[in-house]
Order: sequence, then C-alpha cells, then structure tokens
Amino acid sequence: MVIAMTKGLSLARGVYQDRGLRMRELRKSGKKIIGYICLYPPVEIITALGMIPFRIFGDMNETITAADQVSTTLVCPFLRSIIDLALKGKFNFLDGVVGAHTCDIGAGLILQWRDFVKSPNFSHLLDVPHTDHAPAVDYFEGQINSFKRHLEEFAGQQLTDDKLAKAIELHNTQRKLVRQLYDLRKPDPPLLTSMENLEVLVALFSLPVDEGNELLENVIADVQERKDKPDKKKARLLVWGPVFDNTSLYELIESAGASVVVDDTCVGTRAFWADVKPPYDLHSLAQHYLVDIKCPRTYRQAQPAELKKNYDKDLESRFDYIKKAVTDWKVKGAILQSVKYCDTHGYEVPNLRHYLDGLGIPSLYIEHDYSERSLAPIKTRVEAFVETLG
Amino acid sequence: MSETATPAKTDQKRAINRLKSMYPLRNLVQQDYIDTLNASNEGKPTVWAMLNYWEGDLPLKAMGLNIVYPENYSTLLASTGSAESFLDASDSDGYPTHLCGYGRSTIGYSYRMMKDLNGRIPPEAPLGGMAKPTLLLGSGIICDARFKWFQALGRYFDAPQWVLEMPMMGTAEGTEPDLEGYQIKFLVRELQAFIAFLEKLLGRKMDWARLEELIDLAVKIHETNWQISELRKSIPGPMHSTDFWSSMPPSLFFAGDMATALKLYQDMLAEVQERVNNKIAGINYPEKYRIVFSELPPWHSLKFFDSLAEKGWNFVFESRGYHAPRPLDFSHVSDPLEKLARLSRNFIFSIHPCALEDGIANPVAEVYLQTAREFKADGFFLHPLISCRAASAGLRSVQDFLMKRLNVPTLWVEGDIIDKRVFNPQETLARAEAFEQTMEHYRKVRKAQGLDW
Repeated sequence: MVIAMTKGLSLARGVYQDRGLRMRELRKSGKKIIGYICLYPPVEIITALGMIPFRIFGDMNETITAADQVSTTLVCPFLRSIIDLALKGKFNFLDGVVGAHTCDIGAGLILQWRDFVKSPNFSHLLDVPHTDHAPAVDYFEGQINSFKRHLEEFAGQQLTDDKLAKAIELHNTQRKLVRQLYDLRKPDPPLLTSMENLEVLVALFSLPVDEGNELLENVIADVQERKDKPDKKKARLLVWGPVFDNTSLYELIESAGASVVVDDTCVGTRAFWADVKPPYDLHSLAQHYLVDIKCPRTYRQAQPAELKKNYDKDLESRFDYIKKAVTDWKVKGAILQSVKYCDTHGYEVPNLRHYLDGLGIPSLYIEHDYSERSLAPIKTRVEAFVETLG
Repeated sequence: MSETATPAKTDQKRAINRLKSMYPLRNLVQQDYIDTLNASNEGKPTVWAMLNYWEGDLPLKAMGLNIVYPENYSTLLASTGSAESFLDASDSDGYPTHLCGYGRSTIGYSYRMMKDLNGRIPPEAPLGGMAKPTLLLGSGIICDARFKWFQALGRYFDAPQWVLEMPMMGTAEGTEPDLEGYQIKFLVRELQAFIAFLEKLLGRKMDWARLEELIDLAVKIHETNWQISELRKSIPGPMHSTDFWSSMPPSLFFAGDMATALKLYQDMLAEVQERVNNKIAGINYPEKYRIVFSELPPWHSLKFFDSLAEKGWNFVFESRGYHAPRPLDFSHVSDPLEKLARLSRNFIFSIHPCALEDGIANPVAEVYLQTAREFKADGFFLHPLISCRAASAGLRSVQDFLMKRLNVPTLWVEGDIIDKRVFNPQETLARAEAFEQTMEHYRKVRKAQGLDW
C-alpha cells in the first residue's frame, strides 16, 4: 500500500496523484469523510466530531462534459469541474458535502449538488457575510453554530468544548508547520520547489489533520537535509489568485527560468497564514474565517465606517500582507493568475498591480479556464515576463 | 391555445401594445439623473447605489439624498449605443473583459470622468450623465460584483463606500425555525450601523418620521405592483415584458418621488385591469404563444421583441428577480428598521418553503416552475449573459426542471446586457421559428398529462 510504505515528499506526491486514496481506506475502516468546498467551512468542527475533512478540488485534466447539463459555460470553470466530477461519481467516497457562500457560484454549487448529484445525503451550506463588520462576525458565528448542530446530528454525538479546543490546536499546529514549510523557500535557491510545495499542500487537504501534520514534519526534516537542492533561477516570484490545485502552472513558470517562492492563493498561504486565536470557541472560528483569512471575497476598508476613501491607505489595508511576503521571501516579480469568470478576484487586479508597482514589483496578469491546455498560450507571456526580470 | 386576443384599436403599426401608464413611470427615473446633477451643482451630497432590494434606498431617501443607480445607467448606455467607449476605457485600465458589463461600463465612465476629464462628466454620456458621487452604497445581495465593483472605484473617487449585508442561504438552511429572528436581529444591527454612518457623514440626524412615511409608501408600491403582476396571469397577457422593464425602477429601487410613483402605479393597475376586462393583449397581434423571459434582456436590442410580437409571441412575464415580492403583513411590527429588514429579507426568503416542499434546492428553479404554472407559459426564453453570473448561473436548473416537471420547453439564447456583439437577433429569430414547433408539441404533451395549458 503506497500510503503505508512512503513518507515525506514521496507520500505527498502519491496522495497528490490520487487524492481519494487515503479517504477510501479510512472510509473502509468506518470513518466518515466530509467533503468541503473553498476555505470557509470550519474544518475544526468536522475533525472535533471524529470525521475527516476533505477539501474538494476539480481536475484540470478532465474534460468537462456532464456539467453542461446543469451549469452554463459562463461561470467559474473550477466550480464547473467540481460538479462535473461529482456527476461522474468521482467523489463517491464522501459521506457529506459542505459548501459556503464565499461567492455566488460557489453557493449555487451546493444547490446543484443537491438537485442533480443527490448523494451523499448530508449536505450543508454556510452563509458567509460579505463584510468584517462586528454584526457580520456575530451572524457568522450563528451560522457556524447551525452547521455544528447539523453535523452533530449526523455524527450522532455532541461537540464538547474540549473536543473543539483539541481540534483547533491540531489545525493550528498544521498552520504553523505550513508556515515552516514556506520558510524553506526563503533561501536562494529555495530548498523546495513550488511544485513540491503544492503537492504537499494538496496532500494536506486530502489527509486527516494528524496524518497531515506528520507528513509536514517529515517533509520539513527531509528537505532541511536534502542534497538535491533546486537550481538557482533568474527571478524569485510570488503567485497570486484564486484556487490553483495543479502543479502545471508552477512547472510552466519554473521552466521559464523563475522560482515561485511564495504565493497568495487559496490552496497556498491563505488557508494557513493565521491561527485560530483563543479562546477556542465558535466566535474565535467566526473571527478567523471571516476576518483573518485574506480573500478578496470579503470587503475590507482601511478604517471601519471611514468618511473618506484614501486610495493609498485602502490598498495598504487590503494588501499589506503581500508587502510582507515580498520582503521576507525577497520577491522580484509577481504573477497574478485567475480562473476566468472569477469576479471577486477580477475586480482586484488593477488595484493590486498598482500596489505592487508602488513596491517596485513588476507583475503579469494571466487568465485561464482551469484546464492544462489553456496554459499553453500563456507560456510565451510568462517567458517574456521572466526575461524582463533577469 | 390562447388566441383570444383582440388587436388594439389604436396604433396598429406597433407590434407591442405599450401601456400609456408606463411612460410617466419611465420618466421618473430620468428625472432622478437630472435632480442628482442639479444637487451636485449646488454642492449637495449625491449617492451612487447598487440595487439593494430596498434595504438602503429608504434610509438614503429619508436623509434627503439624491441617488442614481449605475446598474440602471448602464442599461441606458446600452440602449443608446453609448457603452462601447466606456467598456474600452475599463479594459485599458486593466480590468478583465469577463467582468460584469454594467461594472465595466461604470468603471470606464469613472475613468473617463476622473482620469481624462479632471472630474467633469463625459460629454458623450446620455441624459447629462451621472454626477460625481459623494457616497458609494454597495450591497452583498445576490451578486458579488455589487460590492467589488464599487470597491474598485476607489481607484478614481475619494467617496467612502458602505456595503449592506443580506443573508443568502441554501433552501433547506433558509427554513430553520429559529432563523428568522436571528437574521432580522443581524439586519437591524447592520441598519443601525449604516444610519449612524450616514448621520456622521452628513452631519445631521435621521428623519425617522420621514423614514416611516417612506416605508409605508414602499409597502404600498409593492402591493400595487404585486396586484399588477397577478393581473398579468390573464389570457391574453395584458402587459408585455418591455413595459415591465421600462417601468420597474420606481419599484425596484424607488426611483423618483415615491408618492408620485405610487399614484402612477395605481394608474398602471387601472389600465391593466381595463385591458383584462376587455381581453386586450400586450401585443397588437393575436397571442399565439405565452412566453416568460429570464432573466435580464439585451438592452441594446429591445426592438427585437417587436419581431417576435409580430409572430404572436406575447412575453407575459419576465425577470422574476426584479418584481415586488408577495406583500407581508407588517401590522405586528412597529420598529421601522425591523420593518425595513423584513421588507428586504422577504425578497430572498419567501420562496424557500415552497421550493423545499417541491423537493427543489435551487429557489430560482422553483420561482420559475410557479411562474410557468400560474402564467400558463408555452415556453421560456432563457438569456444567459456572458458578463453576469448572478443572472445566468441557475438557468440550466430552470431549464431542466421546467421540462422534467411541466414539459415546458425553453429557448436558450446566449447574449449580454451591454455587449451587443454577442447577441445575434437574426439567428435568434430563425431559432424562434423552429421553437414554435417545439411549443406546439409540448402543448399536446401537457394536455395528455392532464395539465390545463
């Protein structure tokens, strides 16, 4: 069995290549697997109730066919890919599915799932407010409470404070370890390639949290001692944008002569950059997911209820964490990537590019349709961009 | 079959039999642009607002602010053929071309105003243009663009932005027993914060008596519109969709003076009632097919509906997301903010119990199943938009449920609200001809199944 025999980067690659592998094993042993979409369902509650959270991704190499029956071609192809896979039975190891209103189409996906995929029986949609206003955080806490009650009923057990605290600690440990993993790419050349990094992260979303933590500890130890270090490249880049769960884009960039050393994406840093803060209760979870996760889907401003917009301060309040990444990882350029029809990221692009200009960081914006073939025309642009950084 | 319509005696040349009461309602929104320009010239604050399903419109009006709606102005840009240069300006400033056409045209307009013209209104803007805003009111209702595109305008304006919240649930979650109170509490707190912000921004207090007056007017406007919608179920359909689109702003975002709007809608109700009494149709041709349109029309090509009217296609209902919801009983509610919260929330949540009862997760599909039954629709014209996710995403479900549950066929025509290059009227007319055979066939199927249309 691949899982039992491998560890470290080999294990990460094995899981990356067959994400359902460990889930099917666990299900056979009686565990319940809860699939979730996007970053906003609080995985700590799933873990605390003895179930396994599994982040649902699409598949860039699977041609979308079945989804055309239930979804127009004019919406996010990543989400279309997910419903396509669901209709084809590729998630039949799930016992439940949880979505969140992180964007219009993401919320609609759960409704499509209920109407057309129909299984598994358990599904839940969390409403996520659009702002970080104090009443919105309280409202979201109520939503998390409603999710907790629904999942307790499904699990046949109550969530105690102690179980929740332990689960939060486990997930916080994972966040801390991921930050240590990213530290391995601070040296020049980085000790880990962006492809390897992504394989590890995708594996984390496909394993129980304790196994993921063990994987991270092994990877970090192995990489610190590795002899076959990645080559030094012409430029060190940051990649920004919505979900990218496939190494192909990173391969394309690295083959153009650049190292991707850090990212601001929702398969990368966004899930791991902030810890859930004590006290470990539902309000802490609401604060973490709605306020501390930095995704363009949430509206933020420099000052609550500000009476005048100051553009520079506005950009600073929205993107200052990117400045820190640029400094800490010695970034020389940024690639802003987005899947087509992603409105929340699309409106962000000129403002972020302007902000990066102010930091002296050149940037390139690329769009794709969440298929490997759509990356081919981008290659020349990436190569030219990297050339200008050299 | 519903070939009972009698062609109108007046204006035989026009294919669509426009309601006379529609024109003054259409003019009300045009007056808003002029009033806002005048207010701006006098140094008074002005607002650009997103469609917010009444949550923010009424507090703004109660504070005496002049408001324009860029979503509505964009329809004007499209229908006057003025949108292209603004779309180009948005593209040139780096905004992706797949974004909302309304958003792109507003961004382009703002770019022209602030980057090219030093704050002056672009001379090519129709109706005198939109005055420079002193407040941007975004909304989280239904569409992500409603807060993201105003956030993007921070690039051009120093106007502050406020974003209104509105719960958006799944159908099953939307019927939890303790949900209503918890959501109303949330919305009231949000409204309190919004009003506190407005008071600080404007340096004056909310006129609560005026707000209550406006809420009462809003309730009456919606009740009147609801009655008009109910009358439209008649055969032949007395009011064509184009009349709805032309007259919807005073109900959809309370454009114009609300007391005047109420009077004009009452006039419209009387005119529609008269048509129903006399079996007068909304088209000047015999009503052969009763069609429902979903969701937003090609504003740049509305004349296209004349060609379909000549073929006996009567668009009897449309754009369910833009209609007044079923009236609520407010007699037990005294707090104006709670009334406002309930009025606004009603739009989103009123359909959830019906959908759940029907075994449907997508409330949009449920809405159109009800519409098909109540309006005895022969077919649906579905218009997925290349630049609007909110209006397009659920249409496949609508198509699927209409056929599976009711054997009502759909004509699927991709297009756009702004970009006329992606809509081909000639090709659509050719497809419409073939679709008539489909509608005829499914009439027989429905009859065989015991349905009454």
